[in-house]
Amino acid sequence: MEKRLLTLNVNGQDYELYINPKTLLVEAIRDHIGLTGTKRGCDTVSCGACTVMINGMAVKSCSVLAMQAEGMEITTVEGLEVNGELAPIQKAFIDNGSYQCGFCAPGMIMSAQALLNENKNPTEWEIKEGIEGNICRCTGYNSIVRAIDGAAKGKYTEAKS
Amino acid sequence: MNKYTVINPHSKFTVLNTHVHNIDGVAKVTGRAEYTFDIKLPGMLYGKILRSPHPHAKILNIDYSRAMELPGVYGVVTGKDTLGVKQGIWRRYKDLCDEQILPVDKVRYIGEPVAAVAAITEEIAEKALDYIDVEYEVLQGVYEPLDAIKKDAPEIHEGFERNINVTRHIEWGEVEEAFDEAEYVREDWFKCGGQAHMCMETRAAVSSYTPEKKMTIYSSNQSAYYMQALMAGVLGMREGDIRILAQYVGGGFGGKFELDGAIFCSAILSMKLFRPVKIIYTREEDFIATKRRTPMFYYVRTGVKKDGTFCAREAKVFTNGGAYTGMGATALYLTGFFHSFPYRWKGYRYDGYRVYTNTLPSTSMRGFGAPQAMWCSEQQIEWIAADLGLDPIEMRRKNSHHEGYEVPGQATIASCGIDQCYDEIKSWIASKGELPANRSIGLSACGFMSGGIFNWFDTPYSFSSAVVTINQDGTVELHVGAQEIGQGSNTTMAIICAEALGVKVGDIKVHSGDTDHCPADLGAWGSRQTLMTGNAVKMAAESAKKQLLEFAYAQSGLNIVYDLDIKDGWVHAIARPERGEEFVQLVRKALRGKDGQRIIGRGYYTPHRKGMISPAYSYMLQGVEVEVDEETGKITLVDSMTAHDCGQPINHLGLIGQLEGAFSMAAGYGYLEYMPYEDGKLMNPNLVDYKMIRATEMPPANIAEIDTYEPEGPYGAKEAGEGLTNPTAAAIGNALFHRFGIQMKECPVRPEMILNALKEKKEAQEK
Amino acid sequence: MINDFNYLKPGTLKEALAMYAEHEDCKVICGGQSLLIVMRQGMISPEYMLDIKHVKELDYIKFDAKDGLRIGATTTHRTIEKSDVIKKNYPVMVSMENKLASIQVRNWGTIGGNLAHADSAGDPGPVLIALKANIKIGNANGERTVALEDFFVDYFETVMDHELVLEVHIPAPEPKSGAAYQKFNLLDSDMGIVAAAAYVALNDSGICKDVRVVLGNAGSTPIRVKRIEELLIGKVYDENLFAEAGSIASVDCEPVADIHGSEEHRRHILGVLTKRMLKKAWEQAKG
Repeated sequence: MEKRLLTLNVNGQDYELYINPKTLLVEAIRDHIGLTGTKRGCDTVSCGACTVMINGMAVKSCSVLAMQAEGMEITTVEGLEVNGELAPIQKAFIDNGSYQCGFCAPGMIMSAQALLNENKNPTEWEIKEGIEGNICRCTGYNSIVRAIDGAAKGKYTEAKS
Repeated sequence: MNKYTVINPHSKFTVLNTHVHNIDGVAKVTGRAEYTFDIKLPGMLYGKILRSPHPHAKILNIDYSRAMELPGVYGVVTGKDTLGVKQGIWRRYKDLCDEQILPVDKVRYIGEPVAAVAAITEEIAEKALDYIDVEYEVLQGVYEPLDAIKKDAPEIHEGFERNINVTRHIEWGEVEEAFDEAEYVREDWFKCGGQAHMCMETRAAVSSYTPEKKMTIYSSNQSAYYMQALMAGVLGMREGDIRILAQYVGGGFGGKFELDGAIFCSAILSMKLFRPVKIIYTREEDFIATKRRTPMFYYVRTGVKKDGTFCAREAKVFTNGGAYTGMGATALYLTGFFHSFPYRWKGYRYDGYRVYTNTLPSTSMRGFGAPQAMWCSEQQIEWIAADLGLDPIEMRRKNSHHEGYEVPGQATIASCGIDQCYDEIKSWIASKGELPANRSIGLSACGFMSGGIFNWFDTPYSFSSAVVTINQDGTVELHVGAQEIGQGSNTTMAIICAEALGVKVGDIKVHSGDTDHCPADLGAWGSRQTLMTGNAVKMAAESAKKQLLEFAYAQSGLNIVYDLDIKDGWVHAIARPERGEEFVQLVRKALRGKDGQRIIGRGYYTPHRKGMISPAYSYMLQGVEVEVDEETGKITLVDSMTAHDCGQPINHLGLIGQLEGAFSMAAGYGYLEYMPYEDGKLMNPNLVDYKMIRATEMPPANIAEIDTYEPEGPYGAKEAGEGLTNPTAAAIGNALFHRFGIQMKECPVRPEMILNALKEKKEAQEK
Repeated sequence: MINDFNYLKPGTLKEALAMYAEHEDCKVICGGQSLLIVMRQGMISPEYMLDIKHVKELDYIKFDAKDGLRIGATTTHRTIEKSDVIKKNYPVMVSMENKLASIQVRNWGTIGGNLAHADSAGDPGPVLIALKANIKIGNANGERTVALEDFFVDYFETVMDHELVLEVHIPAPEPKSGAAYQKFNLLDSDMGIVAAAAYVALNDSGICKDVRVVLGNAGSTPIRVKRIEELLIGKVYDENLFAEAGSIASVDCEPVADIHGSEEHRRHILGVLTKRMLKKAWEQAKG
């Protein structure tokens, strides 16, 4: 097995890695780059806790080889805030109590953000579909749907809210 | 700088039950929150556990010499590396302390740890498992309680005849006389499935033992104090030499307040190797080897009068305890107790038998035996109402608990809003009008405890404690032992402290999840923290406020009949609120007055003389609208309403979250989370085949809050969140009964079962 | 745990085919949404992995009114789901993709990978076979086109002999035709416990001139139920016939029982789905 050099662009920053090519993107992000916001909750591409955005699309980073993500823009939950200002979706989650233990939250928020990037005016069903790939054991999802709906309607776009 | 605001004379509370944001929000939504899953310590090794493939076997020999030869492997431990302590959480009853975790002599369930290895990478540790040679003598296994109690069944634990692990008996009134009074008697058998906690963060621990002979453990758990005390017991260490850290925990739901393989094996490895060792369970391990909700067989005989007055009930329950006791003894009692809720029975008798089997041990899971109890009770009650041609809501209402009722020998009900719950649900049903032909509504009532009174853990500490310390800038340190596992306890305690002390939630820093700095507390289970830790926090904050106000009174020149108070950071005379000073000004004066020492308030709470179960009970009635495809049996949940009495709500966002979350878990128990075993082997240890409800399946979970006042709770508060897990399965069953007239005895209900029931009904009608 | 492999990253299709020819013990990865799971379970451990994620030549959707629809193998499910031209001409493809796993999986997983994986519970297989699709496969030595119904051989096995999936081709839609697909599951995003796809084409008098019913997860490969074609061709709309077709479907299959349902239950559901999808497809065809 030959280790490979790889440059990953995560949250706007290039990281140079030297890895075993079987390294999953989630492992590269968590263990090699050290960004632990993205979590893992299963081995069967089921739970969505590892969701990140690749070129703005929500993808489960546990089923992407790190090597495949070279040359693409990867965004993790750490990349949503700007100079300490939370993204509207993050504010929405806080305002609606859309997390409890918080373990699913980073992945859930990335799915939500990807949905909003693509669909400025999602219906309730479209929102539910947008987070269908993310399991939450704590909230029962409805508060998450309310948060995404509120963010879509522009409730959280003001700074310092 | 706090601006003076007019205190609304009509608002009882400043902070309670307002839209307070969860105080851990920023950390959790930005990825900053560090869970045990994320912890990395210098020099850390990775541990993996070798598990028994056999449901019942003697361990003859373990040879790990080949594993030790692998580059990168640092060490292997087996039961021989431990003190062999049989531990359990019911410390007061030694015979129920039956689990070594790394067994020395024999294994009792598939997946039980047998050895653990630590290596420089996770991959090497996993590979090393194949190089550990275990010699077993396979024994005959038994998997169902009704088989395990037979005379010829294999003995699972020495000294437990017929494999009966625990028995419980609850009785009041003259039961047979009460049955004689009944004009209608019905008996039914039920089967209640197990359920997996399925916490998003699997079991995780990082243990670090140092040459000072001290142990630091990061652990995903529901009670840092329990972990500390139990680990001290199994390691032969002093509690004070063990530090447990759990600032962020990815869910617990009743499965994480006992020792598990992760914390135990990582600690034993670390003790041997003097290196930190991290063990994270895979999702499959979490399914196979972490204790589950208790499967139960229920026999229920109920006698009522023709007008629907409840006379007598008799229940016999056999629970599948699995290989070890865990929290099963409590579940066995609570299922029998809540099986009577929320009704008055003239005669009631419950006999529960917890039976050892060679399957995954069962333990507490949100609801603690009550979801099973309600599956049986609330359905049978519905069937009785139908048999007698009575209105199911009014029949429930006339028999329900009320404030002041004494459950004979068990509990005094000091607050009870169930009656208004019935009215709310009636309104909701009426508002729905006529339902489409393929939909129906099912109901279920229930009640639940707000923490337990029984000291089975045998702690010498108060059940809950709190310390409030006020800094010179008016910020407040609140130290509690209550564990934040997502239920929002940090926020709830901050809210209570803010209300009691008179400051803003944002001024309070909550310290929890660290036994080095926080007082002992029994932790997050049995829905106890809002009431018990809440009481301790209120007491501590009120003490701090009183100490502060002494300085305000001294300088105020007030007549003795006038009072001062603090609200929203404003110290004022209650009669003349516009006159006063800023909180921080008073704090500085008090600091100087006390020689530079900060004001510290202490609080604590232990229930005394509060009956056999709990100091307080929540109540609710839930209605669930269910759509069923008659040709396929597929269930879709359409709508729901829960009328709910938790006394005085404290944490508004938290309460809604608890209701909706509990509903999703309870619905899963009712129709999705099938957990089948075959010869002791779990057939679906993954998230593809174990069905978890997702956003697309979740219906609206509406709530109608019925406020009552519970004298034992802080500001009248009771639990909210565990009780809400109790009714939904039964409500779904009742919806099926109303639509089709089928009586579902087994949960979770799956499409094939519905179709079979419809077929049987058709065949019976044709005869 | 995934076993070590050597990683190959071709830039063009030609390079990919050449690399693939060079290494016998080589698995192709694109979306990897199914592949990585089985590799993690240790079921597959190739010496080489050929990553064709960035081979742009295979990422396309082309429609021609005469030729029909051609989808490149590395086209993602999501691209298909959101394609206007596919929604207009083969709406069943869009509705099928919409219920495939989750958006995350659809964003990265590909149609070619799905078909190559040959999971008999996979959604695209039955739908594409109902639409009479062909699949183009090839390697450095050349290409060949196979009817998709002949492509699947057994559970997770295809006719490919060290070849790659290159393209899926669906013939031009017939006038007065309709297609419908439904899977039976407990959760909206799950693979079907069983599934049924139906395609109906009518002549100008409303008589059925062509029909296909293809069952999913009812055997080791998708099952085209030919007896239903014999039953319905030449007939007019008749709900009793649909029910009869359902009965045939429930018999002409080999579903395997597991914890999600007995064999009897699966047969019953297949019958119900067949009946319903035939009706739906026929009504679509009527217009």
